[in-house]
Amino acid sequence: FQKHEFFVDMTCEGCSNAVTRVLHRLGGVNFDIDLPNKKVYIDSEHNVDTLLETLKKTGKNASYLGVKSA
Amino acid sequence: KFTMEAKSVAIGVEGMTCNSCVQSIEQHLGKMNGIHDIKVSLEDKNAVVIYDSKLQTPATLQEAICDMGFDATLAGSSPQP
Repeated sequence: FQKHEFFVDMTCEGCSNAVTRVLHRLGGVNFDIDLPNKKVYIDSEHNVDTLLETLKKTGKNASYLGVKSA
Repeated sequence: KFTMEAKSVAIGVEGMTCNSCVQSIEQHLGKMNGIHDIKVSLEDKNAVVIYDSKLQTPATLQEAICDMGFDATLAGSSPQP
């Protein structure tokens, strides 16, 4: 079982709420947000490019870090 | 002669909690076509946008903010000219 690990430059709860909302809008994703470490872990059928584009919609810096096996 | 159809609209924005949220909205919307000026207020929970009505409408601006993950509401036309 794998989760994609993304870096998103979140600084507050408003930021992480924004990330939550855009991911909900995309749909079909399970995710955890680690605000202190500015990480978002996503388990989804969508490909990485789609997920990264979605994260970037928040206007924050986002990058793909790789697969994290759980 | 080139004339601009500059209009102003105030859009209510919910969900911003810090200046970083404010800045991302200002930067993101500022990059859109037809945006002349944008002022986002954390205290008033709104964004006042001066835009070219040929290129944008209040609805497209609202959608852009929604896309970023914030609740945006059109509070009717802005009282300012």
